[in-house]
Formats: sequence, structure tokens, C-alpha cells
Amino acid sequence: MSATTLQSPATRPGTSPLVTALFRAVRGLAILLAVLAAVEGLVIVLNVKPWYVPRPTLVLNAILATPEPYVQGFLRTLTETLMGFTSGAIFGVGIAIVFFRARVLRELIFPVFVVSQTIPVIAFGALVVLWFGNTLIAKAAISFYLTFFPVTVNALLGLESVDPRQEALMRSFGASRFQILTRLQLPAALPQIFVALRLASALSLVGAIVGEWFGDTVGLGVLLLQGMYNENVVAIWAAIAMCALLGTGFYAVVAAAERALVFWGAEQ
Amino acid sequence: MTTVLSHAPMGAHYTKKKEAGLPVSIQGSGEAALAAKAAGASDAAQILSLTGVTKTFGATRALDGFTATIDKGEFVTVVGPSGCGKSTLFNIVAGLEEPDPGCAMRFEGNSVIAADLLGRVSFMPQRDLLLPWRTVIDNAILALEVEGAPRKEARALAEKMLPEFGLTGFGQQYPHQLSGGMRQRVALMRTFLFKRDLMLLDEPFGALDALTRTMMQRWLLDVWQKHQRTILFITHDVDEALFLGDRVLVMSARPGKVKLEQKVDLPRPRPAEIVISPEFIRLKRTLLEAIEEEAMKSFTAEGK
Repeated sequence: MSATTLQSPATRPGTSPLVTALFRAVRGLAILLAVLAAVEGLVIVLNVKPWYVPRPTLVLNAILATPEPYVQGFLRTLTETLMGFTSGAIFGVGIAIVFFRARVLRELIFPVFVVSQTIPVIAFGALVVLWFGNTLIAKAAISFYLTFFPVTVNALLGLESVDPRQEALMRSFGASRFQILTRLQLPAALPQIFVALRLASALSLVGAIVGEWFGDTVGLGVLLLQGMYNENVVAIWAAIAMCALLGTGFYAVVAAAERALVFWGAEQ
Repeated sequence: MTTVLSHAPMGAHYTKKKEAGLPVSIQGSGEAALAAKAAGASDAAQILSLTGVTKTFGATRALDGFTATIDKGEFVTVVGPSGCGKSTLFNIVAGLEEPDPGCAMRFEGNSVIAADLLGRVSFMPQRDLLLPWRTVIDNAILALEVEGAPRKEARALAEKMLPEFGLTGFGQQYPHQLSGGMRQRVALMRTFLFKRDLMLLDEPFGALDALTRTMMQRWLLDVWQKHQRTILFITHDVDEALFLGDRVLVMSARPGKVKLEQKVDLPRPRPAEIVISPEFIRLKRTLLEAIEEEAMKSFTAEGK
């Protein structure tokens, strides 16, 4: 037997994934704090008026003084975002499979999708509110609208880039089309799908916030509008900070899921 | 010369009347003789018979009247110049491509079309084509899973086979953590676990370095003798074809057909030194002459 069998099974280089993740989080937090401290310092030194850029501590104090609307808003917008993201992702991948299988359907429906995406989300939002009223569903629908298209496009790209020789091998085993889909094509498309999901995580948040602008009482978008109408710059910045927290956190979760699921990287 | 029969693998069907080593042309006038021989041989001994298999892609004819029979338990190697339609032949036998109409294929005694062979022949393509998201074990059981075998049982079966394939302790590793030789062994294990009487191996060792390659060849012979399968093995390496095969089919330049059928009467088990025995070298000379001629043909054809 060749010498290669003698070596012990290779362990993955580097430390455990948990330690790496923790290190990344601490590093990110440190950078964030440094930037905030720099802004704080610059605002004081240059004597910038709070109207333009309030001191970060001022914003933090505003949030801590009345935390309930921020926490409630955060949770509400998070719910809308998750609903839109999940439905958009499932629908996107599902429709990509349909298009992948049925070329005719793809040629008929895909142009409609493209046209739908050229309609500005604001125009579409008015319609959604008419249909669903000021409900959670309405926000999720707008979030969905922004999410599904990039997922469809990327999933389709991933499905189509599967090695035909690998498919031939599966067929030689007597595999059915469904088996080829679940055991080969979908896993092979996963790296492409995750590219879209990372994009979709940001877009679904935008959808949820824009949806709230069409009328609601709770949510980060609502807080943004209230801050704007009251010309309360600190409140606007506080809402922005919460949006950033939600967006970054969600993106980090999707990216972590990607690292865990697509561990084989760009090989093949 | 040693006698063949004592070393013949189980179930192999040998005709003693032809002097071993004499090239038997089975083209042209030889075709009729072969057909007669095919008709005479009992169906039970034959696993696959191809008569006049032709395949045309647009204006290119890849195969032109390829005719051969393979007996149960036999190790048949196919050599030929590059682009002689070897892979097309394999795709047809694996059931992936239909040949042009007008040819006859029989598999295990029944007349078949290529599509009938899907799932009935274990096929190993040139590249290992391992799925990067599956562990060694899970890659090996892919075909079993497709067949509907319970995962747990299939995994247990594969686990037991690891030592034989030199993969002890590597069951839970992923393909990107393995060397080229090991990946190839995982692919072979996948092929062996897909228990079919006929195995098609398409240059499985083509990408390996010379040393690993010889090791793998000897190992393959061991495994073949133990598992009692029929193997059809493509290679472009004459040494490999002779060292492994009971019979070597030399293919002509495109369009591919059988130019020469050479029985290999070397005793088994074959030691590594057999490649320098006079008998081996004599056979090699015969094959090289035939291949050289065809290689020149395809070379000049490409130059045009």
C-alpha cells in the first residue's frame, strides 16, 4: 500500500471554530469601540453641533433612558425581517428548482420577475398596504419582495454549474432525478445560494423598514420616522444604531451558517 | 509457457484452440468468426457482448462497428491512442449514451439498449468525482444510498471495507483532506460497494504518480480476485493493460474499433517483476506495434 496510508488522519489546521469565532467577535467589537471613541473625540474637539452629528454617548444615553421602544422596535423589525427573509429564501430556491427543471416555465416567467424587480419598492409598498393593511404580513411581504429575486438568480446559477460528469455518475448508479437533485445539485449549489442569502439578509431588513414607513406604531422604521418628524437628531441616530445592530447581527448569523454548512470551500 | 487455465479467474471462459499470444484480428473478416464464437459460447459465461457498436457525434464518428465480448470474471483492458472513442464506449456501456441504431448489445444474456444498463454496471469515471460535502464513508455509500439501502447498514458495510482500501482511520475525513491516491481509492471503494457483476474503470490511475500507480495496480488485482467481478478497464498505458488484463483490446484511431485482441497468458498472481519477463516484453512488442500504427494515424489526422 502506498505511503500515504501510513500518515495519521490530518487534523484541520488552526484552533477550534468556537475560539476563532470568539476572537473575531472581540476584534470586531474593539474596532467598533475605537471608531466610536474617535467620533466622540472629534465631535468634542471640532465642536460639531449635535444637530449634525451628536456624540455617540449622547445617542447611547438616549437609548438607555427609554429602552422599551427601542427593544420593542428591534424585536418587531426583527420578526418582519425574518419572515420576509425566510419566505423569500424558500420561495427563491423553490422557484429556481422549478426554472432549472422546466425551461419553458423559466422562459415564460423569468421576464415577469425581472420586470417586477424594476418597480421601485416604494410604489409596490403602497399596493401591499392596500392588500394587507397595516399588518405584520404587509411588512414581511415587502421584505420578501426584495429578497426572493437575488436568491432565485443565484440558486439557478448554482444549480446550472453542477459538473455534468458528476451528474452522469449519479445516473449510472440508477439515480432518479429527485435523488440527483437532493444528493448532488442542491448541495453543489449551496455556496452560490449563500452568496445570495448574505445579500438577502441586508435587503430583507431594508424591506421591513420601508414597510413600516407605510404606517405602523412599533418598529425601527417607525422610530426613524418619529425622529425625523420631531427633528430629534439624537433619536434618529439612536434608531440608526439599532438598525445597524440588527443588520450586522443578522448578517453575522447568516455568514456563520455559511461557514458551518459550506465548509468545503470553493473546491470543485 | 505456463498453462492458462490453472490461473484463470473463476468463471472465465477460455477457448484453448487459439494459440495464446497470437493476435486475433476481429475486424473485417474476423467479425464473422467472432460472431460465430459468440453464438457458440454459452450465454451464462458471457456478461456483455457488443456487436457493431457505432456512435456518431454530428460529423465525427467516434466508434465504428466496435465488436467485443466479455466473459464473466474476466479482466479485460482496452488501450488505444488518445481520442479513439474509449470514453464514448464506456459511456455507452454505462448506459449514459445511446449508440447509433443498428447495433446489438447483450447483457447477461439479454438483448439491451444502453439505457437499460443504467444502474446495472458499476462505473468509475476518469476523475474521482467525490462529493466535497460528504465524508469518505458517505462518498463510498453514495450508490448504495441511491439504491435505497438504509444509511446505517451501508455505513457499517463501508466501515468494514476501509482497511482493504487502505483508508483505515480516514472514514470521517472529507475529500479535500486526502491525497490523490487516497481519493482514487475512495472512488474505487464506491465502485466496489455498488455490487454489480460488471465494473467499468476509465483510466482510474491516470492521474497518479508512477509509484502510487504500480501499488494501486497490484492492489486492484488483489481486490478483483477476492471480489470476483468482471472488469473492463480503459488505459492508455500498455504496461498497465498487460499487467492487469486477461485480454487486451487495442483500439484503432478514430473512429474506434477493435484493431487487435490479445490474450495475456501470464500466470496469476502476477508479481511486479513480471513486467521484465521475456513473455511480457514479447506481448508488449506486439501491442506497441499495433498502437504505434494507430497513434501515427490519429497524429497525422490531427495535423491535417
